[in-house]
Formats: sequence, structure tokens, C-alpha cells
Amino acid sequence: MIAMNYSMFIVVLLFTILTLYDLWRFVRKKESVKVLIVFIIIMVSSLIIGVLLATGRRPASPSELIDRLLKMMGVIK
Amino acid sequence: MGKTRISGIQLFLLITGFLLGSRLIISPASESKTDGWLSILIAGAGGILLVTMYASIALLNPSRTLVEILRDRFGKIIGTIVAISYIWYFTHLAGLVFRDFGSFLVTTTYPRTPMEVIIAIFALTIIYAVNSGIEVMGRISEILVPIVPVLSLIIGASIVTTHDFTAFLPVLENGIKPVIKASLNLLAFPFGEAVVFLMIFPHLNKMKSLIKITTFSTLSVIGLFLYIFFRNIIILESHFLDQATFVPHLTSVLFPGLNLEPLFGVIMIIAGGIKIISAIYAAVMGLSQLIGAKDYRTFTTCIVAFSVILSIWVHENIFEVFNWAGNTWFYYSIPFQFIIPLILLFLSLIKKADPKPQDL
Repeated sequence: MIAMNYSMFIVVLLFTILTLYDLWRFVRKKESVKVLIVFIIIMVSSLIIGVLLATGRRPASPSELIDRLLKMMGVIK
Repeated sequence: MGKTRISGIQLFLLITGFLLGSRLIISPASESKTDGWLSILIAGAGGILLVTMYASIALLNPSRTLVEILRDRFGKIIGTIVAISYIWYFTHLAGLVFRDFGSFLVTTTYPRTPMEVIIAIFALTIIYAVNSGIEVMGRISEILVPIVPVLSLIIGASIVTTHDFTAFLPVLENGIKPVIKASLNLLAFPFGEAVVFLMIFPHLNKMKSLIKITTFSTLSVIGLFLYIFFRNIIILESHFLDQATFVPHLTSVLFPGLNLEPLFGVIMIIAGGIKIISAIYAAVMGLSQLIGAKDYRTFTTCIVAFSVILSIWVHENIFEVFNWAGNTWFYYSIPFQFIIPLILLFLSLIKKADPKPQDL
């Protein structure tokens, strides 16, 4: 049984609508391909992480990775 | 850099609000218990040096943002990689402040509201503020930041009847080590985080007063931190200071018959908001300069959205946030706050001493 976080779903949905609206405006304004690609990468990664969090499948966070890296380097214990 | 300009007083208040940030709800230097005031003084001295270093970099590279300076000094490839790391750092910082804000409000004021909803509603205001431009951000800080010390003074004055003026004695009871550790943490959070302003300094209308403005901002923040520390320790004493999650909030609920709790919410919204706005603006501006977008507003929504998701993703609970901020943040911040700015300062000084014909 997956523990669903509905409030997280609502938040993801809200920002998806906002970013899709922005994307539509950029396409109409003929923004450069580079801008569109970077925008889509950030948008899609937010969406994927948001959905994973909402469905209770939290991936390893950047802080955990930074922690591991610093421990590997012997900076922190 | 465009023609948008902010005045000296606006920058002063923007930096002050940024430095106060979420440190106002987490007692400054509480790790060193009764010697917190010593940590604040040591970190404050280091903070003045750090912020002056950032201001000097801006003065040596007039009208250039951090991203432009990095690409100019490190070359296109290395400069771009370092600039991307900074954009990540600013977004991460905004995410952490979002999390502090959400956790504080859920713990103290809205226990039945999901944290995600609180953060998302706050994020919508942040998008609006960042999209309004640096001038509006300056005016926001001009109107709202003075409220923070006033409210802190009101809270202090209201609860002064409950006190022990010897609570911060004896000095150095646990040795110098905890004092140094707390000083380093306070140096990295919040003073070193002012590296964000390397994206904002070029907007100042009178650049010659930059060092004066940054120094006064840092001094004001040190003063307010000392006041908050003494207020908390005089009222709570050291054992409470060590145990509470949000120490200033605990201070406010101790007074019977007077509800000072909402004032802390207001302080958090103002100082936390200014901090997130500055960090998001720096990230968005950096990214648009890196990609070559016509308008920095292009990336506001997607960066804020990522930051909100990051704030939920980054730590599972508030204790993890505090643990990370206390043990890892300093080491993680060293390259962004100390090493790279030092190299930039060094390279900028060399460039100034030996200008090439095209720089003349």
C-alpha cells in the first residue's frame, strides 16, 4: 500500500499549470531553443521528484548525497 | 546589466533582511549555550571581512554580476561550470529557507495545515515579488525590514519581567571549542550566504558607498543577534536554550496572558521572504545570463517550483534540517562562500594591476 500525499499532489499540479502556462507563452514569443530546453529540464525534474514525493517514494536527497560525499572525503564524521 | 537601480538605503535593508532571514527563529549561536554572545562577536568579525570581500569583488568588476565575473575570470568552460554550481547553491539555499519557514509555521501556528500547502502559497508571493524586479524588491525591504527590529524590541520589552541577568555566566564554561564551532556555523549561515548579493550589487545606484552599506548592514545584524541572544538567555536560561526547537518562539509563549506568537510569524514572513526573494533572484538572474535569455523572468516560475519541491525533498523532518545546518552546511559552503570568492578577488586584483588594452 502506497501512502499518498494529496497535498503534495495539489502543489505539484499547481506548479505544473503555472510552468505550462509559461512554456506556452515562451513558444508564442519564439524564445530560443536553448531557453526552452533548460526550462523543460527543470520543469520535468521538479515534476518527477514531486510525483515521487507525493507517492511516498522519496529518492535520496541532495543533502544526503552531499553528506555522503563529505564523509567519503573525511571532512565530516 | 540593465538600467534598474536601487538606492543605498534599499540595499542596506535588503542585506539586513537577508542576513536576519531564518536565523531570527532559530536562536543565533545557541550551540555554544551561555557563550553564544562570544560566537556572535567572532562570527560577526569574520562576517564583516567576508561581506567586505564580496563588495570588493563587485567594486573591482563594476556593472558585472557573479556569473559574468566567473566567466570573465575563469574562462568560458570553467566559468560556466562554477556558475552552474552557484545557481544550484542559490536554489538550494532558497529551498532550505522555504523549509525553515514551512516547518516553523506548521510547528507553531498552523499545526493542522500541510507544510507543502503553506510553502506553496508563500512561493506564489515570491514569484510575484521576483518578477516585479529588483526595484520592487528594494522597496519591499524598505517598507518591511524596519518592522523586524521593532517587533523584536516589542517582544523583548514585553517579557523583560521574567529574567535572570546572570544566566550567561560563567564565561567559557565548556571551553573554547563549542564557541568556535558555533562561530563557524554562524559565519556560514547567514554571513557567508551574502555571496548571493554579488548578483545584486551591480544594481546599486552609487557604487562608491557599497563597502559602507555592507559594513553597516552586517553591524546592525550583529547588534540584533546579540540582543536576541541576551533576551533569550536572560528569559530562558541555558538549559532551555539548548532544548527548544524554535527558541525565540518559546520565549514568546512564556509570558502569561499576552499572545506574542503571531509577531514571530510576521518576523519570519518578512525576513525569510526577503532571503528567499534575494536567493531566487540571484539564481534566476544567473541562469538567464548563462543561457542568454532576453528576460530573467523566464525562469522564475520553474526555479521557484524546483525550490519548493527541493524544500520538501531535501530533509524528512526539522531535526534533520537543524542537524544538517549545524554539521554539514559550513563545510558544503566553504567553496561557495570562501574559496571561489577569494580566488575571484585575487584574479580581479591582478587584472586591475595589469590591465590588458581592451580593459582600458
